[in-house]
Amino acid sequence: MKKDRELIQDFQNGDEEAFNELVRRYLDLVHGFFQKLTNDEMEAEDLAQTVFIKLFKSLKNFRFKSEFNTYLYRVNVNTANTYFKRNKWRNFLHLDQTVEPIYNDNLQDREWKKEELWNAISKLPKKQRSVVMIRISEMLPFKDIGHILHMSEGTAKVNFHHGIKRIKALLGIVE
Amino acid sequence: MNFESKIRQIISGSDKTIDKEQFINNLTEARFKYKLKRSQAFSGILAICLIITVALTSYFELDQGAIQSGRNYYFSDSNIFYSEFDEDNFNNNDYLLDDIAIYIMEEEDDIWTAFSFLDEIEFDNFINYIEEES
Repeated sequence: MKKDRELIQDFQNGDEEAFNELVRRYLDLVHGFFQKLTNDEMEAEDLAQTVFIKLFKSLKNFRFKSEFNTYLYRVNVNTANTYFKRNKWRNFLHLDQTVEPIYNDNLQDREWKKEELWNAISKLPKKQRSVVMIRISEMLPFKDIGHILHMSEGTAKVNFHHGIKRIKALLGIVE
Repeated sequence: MNFESKIRQIISGSDKTIDKEQFINNLTEARFKYKLKRSQAFSGILAICLIITVALTSYFELDQGAIQSGRNYYFSDSNIFYSEFDEDNFNNNDYLLDDIAIYIMEEEDDIWTAFSFLDEIEFDNFINYIEEES
């Protein structure tokens, strides 16, 4: 079995089947990431396709400065951020469909929905959002998250902590 | 259960598998569309560049041509008041005037009319030259 590096080099030399092999290898990871992010199966597939189209465009100039895995996570996070930005406008234009958080004393016990959670995550600042997204969907250690997002392990931890705190506040959960 | 675990539990609800070959087929189609769009955009940019080049070339060519020179050279104030036939420049253009004098001599049927004209404008070079020749 060829290594990722070899497949990328083959693709850079014009072998498009090598790219298809990369897709086969990483589709579950990419699709799974977006499946967790959205309720809509079609939307998850579309986002996965967007990621692979981006890779198709950019891999020709890939210089192997980082691992392909890391690079793929970065593309995933950027695509997710774009998706959130797009949804923000969509929600803004369809105000009646926005999920309104309900504030009452029993919120700690209430089962909030996935949509509600992602709605809260989408309201986080970009850095916090990116860290939270990778941490909760991929369960990666903070060291790896820092490496993916070009930040130190400590910064990743701090961003995660602030992000979670803010999500709780947005969901109306009292600590 | 802490908050982080609860979040993970919520988001890991569905783990549907995807048909990889179908996805690759769709992706290939999307890639083909992307390539097509890129080549169309490239052709469009190339066409715009070509149009701009032709337009600029035409503009600068016309700048040197009849319209521009007709308007700017013959009718501009600078050429009327500061032409090569100014009194100040008169003596510096001996060769040019010699040529004009020869032209007048050749074209004029009556040579004495030409002489009297050259005499009128006090052009002695040619008259002296004719006298020396004779």
